[in-house]
Amino acid sequence: MIDILRLSVPITVWLVSFSAVYGLHGIVCAAEWAGRPGIGHLSLGHVLLLAASAMAVLVQAGLMFAIANVRVGGPRGFTRRTSLALAVTALVATVWTLFPVAVLPMCR
Amino acid sequence: MLTIWSSDPRFRGWLTTNNNNDIGTLFLCVATAFFVVGGILAMLIRAQLATPGSAFMGPEAYNQVFTMHGTVMMFLFAIPFFEALSMLILPGMLGTRDMAFPRLGAYSLWVYIFGGSAVIAAMLIGLAPGGGWFMYPPLSSAAFSPGIGADVWLLGITSIEVSAIATGCEVVVTVLRYRAAGMSLARMPIFAWFILVVSVMILTAFPPMILGSLLLEVERALGWPFFQVENGGDPLLWQHLFWLFGHPEVYIIFLPAAGMISTILPVMARTTLVGYGWVVTAVASLAVLSFGLWVHHMFATGIPHLSLAFFSAASTLVAVPTAVMIFAWIGTLWQGRPTMKLPMLWIMGFFATFIVGGLTGVMLAVVPFNWQAHDTYFVVAHLHYVLIGGYVFPMVAAIHFFLPLLGGRTRFFKLGEIAFWLTVPAFHFTFLALHLAGLLGQRRRIWTYDDGQGWTVINLVASVGAFVMAIGFALVILDVIVNTLVSTRARRNPWGAGTLEWATSLPSPPYGFASIPVVTGRYPLESDPALAHRIARGEGYLAQSSRNRRETLIVDTSTGAPAQVAVLPGNSRLPFLLAVVTSTSFLAPLVGAYWLSGAALTGVVILALIWAWGLGAKTDEGPVDAGRGLSLPTSQEVPDPPGWWGSLMLLLADGVHFGALLFGYAFLWTLAPDWPPESWLVPGTAGPVLALGGALGLVVGTRLAARAILRTRRPWIGFALAVAGAMSLEMAAVSIWIMCPDPAAHAYVATLWLLAGHVALHATITLIMLGYLIARVIAGYTSPRRIGEARIVQLWGDFTALTSSMALAAAWAPGVFA
Repeated sequence: MIDILRLSVPITVWLVSFSAVYGLHGIVCAAEWAGRPGIGHLSLGHVLLLAASAMAVLVQAGLMFAIANVRVGGPRGFTRRTSLALAVTALVATVWTLFPVAVLPMCR
Repeated sequence: MLTIWSSDPRFRGWLTTNNNNDIGTLFLCVATAFFVVGGILAMLIRAQLATPGSAFMGPEAYNQVFTMHGTVMMFLFAIPFFEALSMLILPGMLGTRDMAFPRLGAYSLWVYIFGGSAVIAAMLIGLAPGGGWFMYPPLSSAAFSPGIGADVWLLGITSIEVSAIATGCEVVVTVLRYRAAGMSLARMPIFAWFILVVSVMILTAFPPMILGSLLLEVERALGWPFFQVENGGDPLLWQHLFWLFGHPEVYIIFLPAAGMISTILPVMARTTLVGYGWVVTAVASLAVLSFGLWVHHMFATGIPHLSLAFFSAASTLVAVPTAVMIFAWIGTLWQGRPTMKLPMLWIMGFFATFIVGGLTGVMLAVVPFNWQAHDTYFVVAHLHYVLIGGYVFPMVAAIHFFLPLLGGRTRFFKLGEIAFWLTVPAFHFTFLALHLAGLLGQRRRIWTYDDGQGWTVINLVASVGAFVMAIGFALVILDVIVNTLVSTRARRNPWGAGTLEWATSLPSPPYGFASIPVVTGRYPLESDPALAHRIARGEGYLAQSSRNRRETLIVDTSTGAPAQVAVLPGNSRLPFLLAVVTSTSFLAPLVGAYWLSGAALTGVVILALIWAWGLGAKTDEGPVDAGRGLSLPTSQEVPDPPGWWGSLMLLLADGVHFGALLFGYAFLWTLAPDWPPESWLVPGTAGPVLALGGALGLVVGTRLAARAILRTRRPWIGFALAVAGAMSLEMAAVSIWIMCPDPAAHAYVATLWLLAGHVALHATITLIMLGYLIARVIAGYTSPRRIGEARIVQLWGDFTALTSSMALAAAWAPGVFA
């Protein structure tokens, strides 16, 4: 069961964070936070989404390093290698799917 | 062994069997029959569109035909067909004797047959739905689709989804626990990985669709306005729920076919799969990534650009793991010495077709192009390239490959080769042409067009190609039938494959293996050619049948070390009867017989209790001889029996259903035009106290009861607490219904009713389970060893407490904060 968790957690966390950021974007637009001042020239909505995206990347990176560690990732072998590959995939997926937050307007 | 595992004789045997060979064969035959129906409907579509201004069909008939074509192919053919093949070959591949829950498999089959037949029967009497296979409201609402056509779709398809979820639970537990000794995760056949991932996808993708169907059916029948803008609803909610299911569905269909390719290709290339670990990584990635793509079906709905970019990025990303798989297959071909036998021909057809479909998929993932091609024949051509090229061609390869295993004969008559050379080129004639029609502006689902629009020649070519393709598929079916019935007998392992399913005599006997094999590698027959004979000589586990019951091995999930002896149930008509009442409960509302539906639901509860009561024992058996000097506990005397794992999987699906309900609530709250409602529900103090106390009582009570059974003490205090807890939750739910009496007034109130309904339903199920467990304790079916049933009830109690607390908090929170 632990091995199944090692294999499934990182990529599932990507799905959760991706859905959460998408949901937050819905709230930002519905509550009109995209028009409220945040930090510097960034709106409140933009700041929130950037913070959420950065947190998602950090969590994925943390998971990746944890699985690379023997204490969490378990002994060397198929499960460890595959878990690590999935964790790297999840990190790349997080960066790739959330980078539009940094470059696109919020609610147009 | 044969006496113990055989089905009942004659016709009765078909109704009472639960052996994977019988169930899989029946599943396969019925799915093929539905494929023929779907194919005939496709020919009607192409006959209508072959010429401009055709009078072959009117618009209403055409709407029904294309709706049913999509519905039949997606729900009645594609998913059941791979489930059938999995049931037939998976136990053999894993080195076990049957699926984990044989009766559940039989139940799944019969529910599928009854649900599918009802949908087809409705079509034959002209009552089919006409709103397209994704049934968008408001077109599918009662106002614009009167009659029972849409209801047939919603209720019939939901019952088939119940069947798929039952099979999903069965497959997950089978792959995780029912394997040969020594078959660790690293040694599992690659198809087992694919089907494990797909089954988890079924458990997580189907619940949003079931919720959507429930909402739409309730709106149609009772007027609860989930999708009506004027009363707080939003039709876009349906699109989200549908595509939360619909996009992963594409991968649910593709991945089993990819699993088949990963199994067959190395055998045809006389080598082993290149990059096994990378393929496992790719399939797991693809499965999860596919849940982040659903909005790419909604690019034209006016969603903000940033959201479009999220889903466009995710859509392009899935090309990477798909490419990893394709390069692994190419590497396998490069490494081996391929032989161009019939299964290989179809796999080559797959390569030529699927890669084109994949590339047009990447084109459609790019938003500006998607806007141009949206709802045109370009999309129709793309999805047929992916589904026929990516699913049907590999499945035809699989049928030809596994034919000796299924019927015990090798191919003698060579109709299959003719079929291949008719089907694949004809397919490309048809759908390559339709890409062009789409780019020239032909919209999908139009029932006719005028001459001079530039589509006439293209449509004629596509129609001729489609009819040739249909002849090709008819020849495939004929080839399989003829070679199964009258061809020459096959010798053991005719392809020289390395996996365990080829270690049995042909066709596979009902018990599969005379003894459970011990494996030391990923391709046991390749590393040990004498293994088949040693299995037959009884040198594996559980070779003796002296206990006169169906037994197989349960192993540790990771290492494959022997852990338990599973005791499987014998033949029974209970699955058939339960399927009859389940289907009746779904289908009776179609004719307004709500009382019959209620009575059938009561029948479901009674039969399920009878089913469960027949399992287990009143005395402890202790560890039993498993062979090779090893004694193991039976699955009835462990804390984590198969039923516990099955419950865990079912609760995963249930949890996703609940999550989809919360998503729907949040969606309406934030995005529906007519929100907020006039007033929020204010809970007062009684409701929250009941909810908190109830959840706590349930969690603590079930634990106290289980601990008391474990220590041979009286469990009554625990039971009393748990029953009181479940009843408190019921009362909290009822309080919401009383305080908001009119769910048809606004989508907010309707959603509150559903949230309370979730609580009431789960509290009721938990009460029934507690009543059952109390009766089992009184009758002597529990002991410190036989603790499994108490742990299953505890699991359900925990789930009920957690989700009920969340549901009630979600219902009351707006009123509290307002």
